[in-house]
Amino acid sequence: MRRQFNLTILATIILVAATLAGVFFGTADVTWADRWAALTGAPDAPRTLSLILWEWRMPRVLVVAIVGASLALAGVMMQTVLHNPLADPYLMGLSSGASAAAVGAILWLPSWVASTLGVPLIAFLGAVGAFVLTLGLSYRRGTMMSPLVVILAGVAVSLMFQSLTAFFLYVGDPHATRTALGWLMGTAAGATWSELWLPLGALCGVTVFALSRAQNLDALLLGDERATALGVPVRGLRVVVFCAVALLAGLSVAVVGIVGFVGLIVPHMARLLVGGRHLALIPFSLILGALVLVVVDLMCRVMLAPEEMPLGVLLAIFAAPPFILILRRVRHAF
Amino acid sequence: MRSDPMIEIENLSIKLGGLPRVDDFSLSVPEGAFHGLLGPNGAGKTTVLRALYRAQKPDSGVVRISGKPLSAWSQAEWMRTVGALVQDGGSLQGLTIRDVVEIGMMNLPLSADERDARIAEALQIAGLTEMAQAEAALVSGGERQKTHIAQILARAPEVYILDEPSNHLDLCYQILLLDEIKRRGKTVIATFHDLTLAARYCDTMTLMRGGRHIVSGTPEDVLTQDNMAEVFRVKGQLENGMMRIVSAIS
Repeated sequence: MRRQFNLTILATIILVAATLAGVFFGTADVTWADRWAALTGAPDAPRTLSLILWEWRMPRVLVVAIVGASLALAGVMMQTVLHNPLADPYLMGLSSGASAAAVGAILWLPSWVASTLGVPLIAFLGAVGAFVLTLGLSYRRGTMMSPLVVILAGVAVSLMFQSLTAFFLYVGDPHATRTALGWLMGTAAGATWSELWLPLGALCGVTVFALSRAQNLDALLLGDERATALGVPVRGLRVVVFCAVALLAGLSVAVVGIVGFVGLIVPHMARLLVGGRHLALIPFSLILGALVLVVVDLMCRVMLAPEEMPLGVLLAIFAAPPFILILRRVRHAF
Repeated sequence: MRSDPMIEIENLSIKLGGLPRVDDFSLSVPEGAFHGLLGPNGAGKTTVLRALYRAQKPDSGVVRISGKPLSAWSQAEWMRTVGALVQDGGSLQGLTIRDVVEIGMMNLPLSADERDARIAEALQIAGLTEMAQAEAALVSGGERQKTHIAQILARAPEVYILDEPSNHLDLCYQILLLDEIKRRGKTVIATFHDLTLAARYCDTMTLMRGGRHIVSGTPEDVLTQDNMAEVFRVKGQLENGMMRIVSAIS
């Protein structure tokens, strides 16, 4: 446990440094003294810079960190309860449902409806709708909800919503289509303080729940039957985990759009470093997920400045090498 | 000592996919007995065990352990009392062999030292001490089976439910591990395909076929020529503790 603890502390220190870097660095050309003055709220700090740091970058970096941590935690739980290393938070059709709803709203709804409800809320409702559909297709009384059935139901629901999204994009107005595509690739640009509290609350609640069930989640790694033989209420735990994942992933999609790979790759990276026991894996994954997304978001902002890249583009480049390494290491096990 | 029934199954019936897999099955295993469940493929042995460790809800009938219906057990109480070796493989993602053994000890009221001592002893019995930090998902099938048996040994339950405990094990560890379980003198119910191995360890056994109870008794009473012909469709019987099989009955 000592090694795991030390690694978690180290990752936390790096996360704090990355968060500060995320707040300090950007396209504005300013001196370090001004940056520090603006961050600490010194009276002589340039007002515009204070505004950039406190109202633009800080909420953005924090939202990104919360989303990264949420998706990593959701990924850990999904891979555990579905016994599947390729499971990710969106597996139950969440991203496809959110995409179809958001793209439909951007392209087809009257602007007053989209602006009254807001695309984030519409995306969240789409994610929840897809989740409920997948859960309904997988649920069968008296069974433990077979992971295979859940995965197949998720694939079916995803395909359905993906084709709906494709249809919307194909027949939509080209101008609005560009906006919709930008949303699909994920971006934290324009994040505000008010968008932060709900995902943060959900993340805290789900983290407490997951840590309190760490032993039962450990037992699930042994398989449904073995976990049942150890007295774990497998079906109940699985349903609650699905709901928790839907909440985390749905809120994440709502605030930054679709951010792939974090929920798939970070749990594997974390397992390589701290092992599979959830009491160590959950805190480390939270930190690592936040760290990965904060760093990638920073790169998205500065690499092509003043232009900004969508998160999804860089994440795919960032995530592929570690995934190939992990695959090479574990391929004999499957 | 062997008077109170530790495991009681009364008129158990289970249908899977509309087909009866266990049909009006009853059994009583006294405390401290090593009881074998034997039968050909599809006889319903594993389904009976799944009902015992609560993975399969009966359509009708009652199952009790230590006099208590299965639904009345709390998770902590269950963990202290019942240990089950099952035919199921999880992902074991990121777990070492030691982790797997330790996970089986959750909810046991033990100090860290007691826990470590039990884990070390179980790993040593299963010949896994040197491999304790190996990744469980990457070891061989036999080593994985030993790991799961070590988990149950470390838990030291009152009731052992073992589905094919000799699966994947080499001869030496079949004997070593079953000797250890027998030595503990607890109640055991186990399925076997190796009838000689079953005769070596079981005080009593039950033959099943088509989900039904055929006969129960000592190995000598059960593994007779007539029963072998009726249940397994082979000519043969138990002779001096060894199964002598002459031929299959076509």
